[in-house]
Order: sequence, then C-alpha cells, then structure tokens
Amino acid sequence: MLSGSLLFKQFREKEVGTITLYLQYIVNGLTLGAIYSLIALGYTMVYGILKFINFAHGDILMVGAFIGLIIYNALTGGEAADPGAWTILAFFISMLASMGFCAILGMAIERIAYKPLRNANRLAPLLSAIGVSFILSNGAAWIFGTQSRRFPYPFENEPIHIGAITITPHQIVIIVVSVVMMVLLTSFVSKTRMGKAMRAASLDQSTSMLMGINVNRVISLTFAIGSALAAVGGILAAFDFRVYPSMGTMTGLKAFVAAVIGGIGNIQGAMIGGILLGILEAVGAPLLHIPNGMRDTVAFAVLILVLLVKPEGILGKNEREKV
Amino acid sequence: MRKAIALVLVAFVCLAGVVAGGSSEGSSGDTYKIGFIGPLTGDNANYGIRCSNAARLAVDEINAAGGIDGKMLELIAEDSEGTVDKALASYEKLAYMDEVCAIIGPVFTSPALAVAQRCQEDGIVMISPSATHKDVTAQPATNPDGLNYVFRTVPSDALQSEVAGHYFYEVLGYRKLASLYAMNDYSQGLALGMKETFEALGGEVVAEETCMVGDKDFRTQLTQIKAAAPEAIYIPNYTVEDAQILEQASQLGVNVRFLSSDGFSDPEIYNLAPDFTDGVIYVGPAQAEASTILTDFQAAYAAAYNGDAPDSFATNSYDATYIIAAALDRAESADTKLVRDEVAATKDFQGANGTMNFAANGDLVASQGVYEVEGITPVYVGSFQVVDGHIVQVD
Amino acid sequence: MLNFFQLILIYAGIYAIMAIGQNCITGYTGMLSLCHAGFFCIGSYATAIICKVCGLSFWLSIPVAAIVAGLVGLVIGIPTLRLKGDYLCIATLGLGEIIRNVATNLNPVGFNSIPRATLFGYQFASRNKLSFIILIWAFVLVFYVLFQQLAHSRLGRAMIAVREDEVAAQSNGINVTKYKISSFVLGAAVGGIAGCLQTAYTLTVQPGSYTFMVSVMVLCTVVLGGMGNAKAVILGAFIIQFISYLPQLTGLTNVIPAQAKQIIYGLLLVVMMLCRPQGILGRDKFRYGDPRTRTEKLRDFFARGKKKEMGGEA
Repeated sequence: MLSGSLLFKQFREKEVGTITLYLQYIVNGLTLGAIYSLIALGYTMVYGILKFINFAHGDILMVGAFIGLIIYNALTGGEAADPGAWTILAFFISMLASMGFCAILGMAIERIAYKPLRNANRLAPLLSAIGVSFILSNGAAWIFGTQSRRFPYPFENEPIHIGAITITPHQIVIIVVSVVMMVLLTSFVSKTRMGKAMRAASLDQSTSMLMGINVNRVISLTFAIGSALAAVGGILAAFDFRVYPSMGTMTGLKAFVAAVIGGIGNIQGAMIGGILLGILEAVGAPLLHIPNGMRDTVAFAVLILVLLVKPEGILGKNEREKV
Repeated sequence: MRKAIALVLVAFVCLAGVVAGGSSEGSSGDTYKIGFIGPLTGDNANYGIRCSNAARLAVDEINAAGGIDGKMLELIAEDSEGTVDKALASYEKLAYMDEVCAIIGPVFTSPALAVAQRCQEDGIVMISPSATHKDVTAQPATNPDGLNYVFRTVPSDALQSEVAGHYFYEVLGYRKLASLYAMNDYSQGLALGMKETFEALGGEVVAEETCMVGDKDFRTQLTQIKAAAPEAIYIPNYTVEDAQILEQASQLGVNVRFLSSDGFSDPEIYNLAPDFTDGVIYVGPAQAEASTILTDFQAAYAAAYNGDAPDSFATNSYDATYIIAAALDRAESADTKLVRDEVAATKDFQGANGTMNFAANGDLVASQGVYEVEGITPVYVGSFQVVDGHIVQVD
Repeated sequence: MLNFFQLILIYAGIYAIMAIGQNCITGYTGMLSLCHAGFFCIGSYATAIICKVCGLSFWLSIPVAAIVAGLVGLVIGIPTLRLKGDYLCIATLGLGEIIRNVATNLNPVGFNSIPRATLFGYQFASRNKLSFIILIWAFVLVFYVLFQQLAHSRLGRAMIAVREDEVAAQSNGINVTKYKISSFVLGAAVGGIAGCLQTAYTLTVQPGSYTFMVSVMVLCTVVLGGMGNAKAVILGAFIIQFISYLPQLTGLTNVIPAQAKQIIYGLLLVVMMLCRPQGILGRDKFRYGDPRTRTEKLRDFFARGKKKEMGGEA
C-alpha cells in the first residue's frame, strides 16, 4: 500500500515534470514562431498578389537587421550603453528607420528586378529573385564581413520565472511586437481603402484594374509593407540569431515553409503557420525521441505532409484551376 | 544565337590570354611560394580569415627580416568556402599553377581530408593549422616514395578529448556531464572522444544533445539537459553556436559550468556573449612558459589587423608558416621532397604555442593547455598530458 | 593553367550531367524541382558506400546510384507530383533539405579515402585529369544523345505536351501523372550518376557539400543555358563553372574580393532574366510571327512598364 502510493507520487512528479518541460518547449517555440510569422507575412502578401516566391525576402530581413543595428549603435554607443528609457527609444527609432529603408529597398527591387518580368513565364521572376538574394547577401558580406554581430538588449533582460517555466523579457518583446504588427496589418488590409485594393488585386488583377485600382501602386505598397515587416522580423531575430550576412537564408526558407503550411496568400494563415512551425521545431524532436539535429527534417517532413493532405495549406482556399 | 555563343567563346579566349600573360611572371626564381587554403567566404569565414592573416603576418615578418637567404616568401591564399570541391580546386591551382612548395591549411576537417589525399599522392607538404579530426593524418602515403607529407600544428581531437576527459574527471571531479554539440566533424569528434574517455574513467554522460551548424535556437536542447541535471556541460562547438548556447542557457536558468574546446579560443566569443563567458573552462593549446613569442605575435597581429585578436588556430597557422620557413632555410631549395624531409625533421620548434614536434604520422606532439575564463579574459591554468592513464600537469 | 582548365572541364562535365537531369524535369516537363542536390548526394553516398564499405567496383555503383536516386524520386514523386507549380517546388525543396539533414545526422564526417575507380587495370587517379575528362564527358555525350533522342520520342513529346498545357495534354489522352513521374525519376537517376562521378574524382564525400545552393546552381545552369535544350544546358554548366573559378583562373584571388563571383552570379541572373528569360540558347516562345527585332523587343519590354499594362495572369 505504502509502496503503491509512493510509486503513484513518483509517477505524478514525473508527469508534472514532463508537462512543465513541454510547456517550456512551447514557450521557446512561441518566440521562434513569432519571428517566423512576421517574416512569413511578407512572403504570403507578395505571393497573394503576384503568385511568385520572393526568394530575396530573407535577405531584406538581413539588411533590415544590419541597418537597425548600425543606427542603434550610432544612437546609443552600442554595447556600452546602459539599458534605460533612451535605449528603448533608440531601439524604436532604429526599428522605424530600418523599416523605412527596407520598404524603399523592397520597392526598388520590385521595380528593377520583378516588374519587367510580370508577364514572363513563372520561372523568370523566381530566378531573378534568387539573383537579387545573391547580390544582397554577398554584398553585405563584402561590406560588413562575415562575422556575427550582437544586437545589444535595449532593456534589462533578466529571466522571469513563472513556476518552473522561464521566459526572458526579450522573448516577450518579440511576441508582443509581432502580435502588434500582425493586428496592424490585418486591420490595414481589412479596413482601409488601400487594403481593399490589395485584396482586390490579389483576387483578379485585370478586373481590379478595370475598377480603377492602380495595380502597380498596390504591388509597390505590398512590397513596401512586406519588406518593412521583414525589417522588424530581422531586428527581433537579431536578439536571438545575431546579425550576419547569411542570417536571412535559412530563416527566410523556414518562414516561407511557415507561410505554405498556413496557406500561402493568406495573412492569418502565415501567422498560424509561423507559430505552428516554431512550436513544432521546439517540441518535435523531443516528442519523437530523435536527435535535435534532426529538427529540420521534422519541419520539412511536416511541410510535405501538409502539402499532401491539404496542398492549399491550413487556411488556404482551394482554388480551381481555370482552363 | 550564334552571336551569343561566339561572344562567350571570345570572352573565354580573351580571359585565357589575360591569364596566360598574368601567370608567366609567377615562375621567377627568387621567391618561395607558400599556399594557403581556407574559408575566406561563408559563415565560418572568420576562422579562415584569421588563419590566412596570421600566415601573411609571418610571411611579412620573414620578408622584412631579409627573407630566406635573400629569397622572399610569397603567400598565395585561396578560398575553400569550407567545401570539398572548392578546396580541391584551390589545391589544384596552388599545386599546378603556382607550384607552391608547401600548403598551409585547409582550415576545416572535411576539405582537409580531401586535400590531404592529394598532397600525399602528389608529394606536397601540407600543414593544417586547425583540422582536428583524427583521420586527417591517417591518409595513406600514396606517393612513389611512400613518405608522409601531411602534418598539422593543431592536436588531433583524439589527444584533445583525452586530456579533456581526464581533466574533467580527475581534476575538476565531475561525474555527470552533459554534452551539446553540432553535427560536424570537429564538434562530434571531440564530444564522442571526450565521452569515451570520461565514461572509461567511470563518469557518465547523462545527456547528449545535438544541433546543426548554423542553428540559432538551442532552448529545446538546453531544457532537456537541464532536466537531466548534469554537473557541467561540454560544448565543443564553433564560436557562434557556443555564444548562443551560453546566452540561452543563462536565460533558461541553467546554472552549471560550461566546458569547451579550442574553438573557444576565438576571441569573437567575448564580442558575442560577453556577459556569459565567466567561469567557462576550455582545453586549448599549451603555452610556452618563459617565452614572449606568443605575446609578440598577438601584439603584431593586433597592430597589423586593426586591433583584431588572433585565436588559437591563427596562432597555429603562424607557427606553421615559421616551420615551413625554417624547413626552406635548411633545405635551401623549393624541392618538395627536401622541404618535406626538413619539415619532418623539425625538432623542438619554439613557436607561439610552445615547443612543437611532429610524430611519424605528422601529428603534433604537444601538451594541452587548460584555460579558465574570468569575465572576458582567459586565464591560463597550466599544460597537461595524460601519462599512464592519469593526467599530469607539465608546468 | 592548362591544368586548371582541365579541372573546370571536369567540374563543368559533372554539372552538365546534373543539369541534363534537371533539364529533363524542368525543361521538358516544366516541373520546378529544387532538390537536385539531394539526388546528387544520394549518388555520391552510393559510390562511397559501395566502394569503401562494401569494397565493390565503382562501375557497379553507377547503376545502384541511378536506381536508388530514381527510387527516392519515385517515392517522393508519386505523392508530390500531383501538386501544381510552386507547391511542387516547395515540396522538393523540403526533400532536398531532408536528405542533407539526414545524411549529416547519420555521419557528419562523411567518407574519405574512397578507393579509386579502375578500368581494365587502369586507375583513375585524380592527378591524371585527362582520363577523368574523357570519362565524364563520355557520360555527358551519352546523356546528351539519350536525351536528344528522348525529346523526339513519344515519351519526350508527351512530356513537352504536359509542360505546355497540362489540361490540354490530359484531354488528348496523355496520362499526365505517369509522364510527370517518369520525367522526375529519370532526372533524379541522372543526378545520382553525376554524384558517382563527382565522388570518383574527389574521393571524399561530406554532407555539407549538398546544400540548397547546389540545387539553385543547377537550376540556374539550366535556365541560363536555355530550358528544354540539352546543348544549351551544357553551355550553361560551362559558363557557371567558369565564373565560379574565375578568380583562381585569372590568378587574381588576392585581388578580387571573395564575394565578387557570387555577386556576378546574382547580376548575371537578374540581367539574364530581364533581357533573355529563355536562356542563352533558349527558344524564343514569341518569335514566330513577331516581326520585331531583338532590340525593338527589348525597348518595348522596358517601355511596357511605363504604360498602364494589363496585369499578369491572375
């Protein structure tokens, strides 16, 4: 009897331990997922309107992170600065400046490398995007060097313990900023005139043009918003990933996978896909009892599974092909 | 369409002409050419760039002092991008176009394995400053004379992990360790080697977690390790990964000591994770006690490269260059076989990393140093060797 | 100098074989696949395992590599090939990453000191490049002839029909899925063979060499040369490899910044897509009945942006 209850107690403890362990994984995954979501938004918006994968999106993220870092360091003196009101303000200033820069960069890239290809075959803009991605990442490596740089925390980053779960302020900031950005974007797309024009253009470009929508402007705006979000994603990712010229490649690829899982072309889908992928990466390997080195395999296997079961993604609409 | 092809062909011919014109000057007789192969681009380029900088510094110093019997040294650095095929192409270029008398590099293990085969076959001396995998010096000598042409100025990971395992068990007194390593030749070799030694001594590796090179999020692994409650965590990875691991561990409240390997000697770590390096103990190259070569080198390196600090691999590369220069000086010829004989005959070479000798297979024979980081400065604990299954402090 | 040209010929030959495989998938059947690095990896590992672990002949590894790569292509192809356009691209991208990730996790060091290939007592040593050039370009020639024949066969015509219009092809009684899968498997098998040849030359296999970038490079090779044209992709392979080794070839490695060639790739791709999206030797889709000269077309092309044009295919 006694040994039985002891056994039960041990079992309970073990179970509680496992549950907190998984809660911790999920908290970690949420941070990762929030970053993926932000970046996935850019992919999904461009795909929604132009039906092409903007492979340079990940590199815009990298440029955003570099610009943000440079401005932040110039304003505060970098690592030496003590976190305070000024550093937080400087952080937001550098984020806004970086968003502006990346918006312009995104529009410029669209104008130069994609716009002339709008009526070419599907491969052409894709390869042009790969070319732009090469230029951006290697240009950055040329200018800044290949070493990683640290983005100093603009605020005190002492871990917060909630029960057995630990979370740091920077993780909270990442999640909060992502959510704010997504809410802003959703309300922009659903409430404003320009947002309406965007939705119209993604449904049918020719018809919306006939309705008096300036499709070129809508596309430019899409790139601007997507790139600005990438800049935010880049700066937030910089806390966790550091800043280096190839930071956008794998992050961009994963974010893109997130966009597809959620249903490419769908803004809510990108958010859900991002969060899902982030949690999956954190939980997948321990759940399946495989080495953590295989987490990319888990992520991509889920991608293929989703594509097989529901190719249009979780929230995607099943579009009938017109003959 | 024909025009396009013609244009391409003309471009080829023109470039070939330029090349032919450019390469004819290379065969002048008053320089010794030394090749360098390492990653100068790519994510881990910082290791390659530092090694090539150090070799260049050594070459410049030797030339400034009058060269070798009046002949100047010339260093030709080639980019391997850290991949096998690019490293082989670099080798081909150095061996056949420049006809170098020795090669420093490749920096990473996999390219080093590929290039070592070719060096053994063609009979060109190769000294790697940083390829730690035990197989690098295990390549069969396929040249007609059956001589070994592959050397390294970095200890084999078998040696380093043996010292590490003994030090952790015997000196630090740990019995339960965890390891978190990247799936690459360097980190895996060290982690498995350490585990073998440590478990043979009676210790236990309670958690063994892996990641991929380039991973940025280690929270899952660290959470798993935390649940296994080890006394210390061994992280034999490259700087970028180690910096992330240290920072995320601190954020997750993993408050145990971290142990690392010579990859940690890259001072980059103190830029990336300055707040989290305190207390890390790592095994690296031994230091000569009463010699100023190392401090002189570090000062010269900082002066030459904008205050950048060299890591232990760069120091190895610097030593390798001086070993080759000394061999050239004794051989008085650029003949690859004579150079090899003199490199192999290197005895008690006094370098920045202390006294160096080569074993018959080209491996470095040296003690291992142990460092403990205080704040952001590594403090030298001493140099150690494993003798008769027990660790002995040498000095 | 000459030696280095020989090396470029070897690498160009290997890329040409890969590009012929990719061309079968992308050029003939019009499927955008991004996992040739994966098939390349499978081929390399097949040779490494057969020659090193099993101690068997290199020549045996070629059919094995082709079969294994083809089988992987088949297993992945059957479910994913019913996906359309970009979704297929994403699925194959995932496959390529999975293959590399699994290979890395199984053994991050890979294989080295792989025994050399021998033929009638002659040993293919990496030093004697001429024999490798003959070996590899013999394969290129064989595949070139095979795929030229294929393009004009019933199978090839069916593939091209699928590329041009799937629905129309289906309504003409072509089994679209069957031809898509055969094309994918064929391309995969050829990619596997390229891996064998690469291993025979480098004698080292390392999972880090099979990144996403390799797949992209192969795709670029095909597009640069001209899709659907075997001659063109061989030219593309030569150009890509030539640029790749340009700094070393010119002996200017210490002068040209290391990133320069990647930036050249990027510029080349963008300019190429803007001016000649069908590739150097590609067939101009709109040439028939278009009286404009190329310069006029180019001008119209850029002028078009200024006009209020009708949007793309929504």
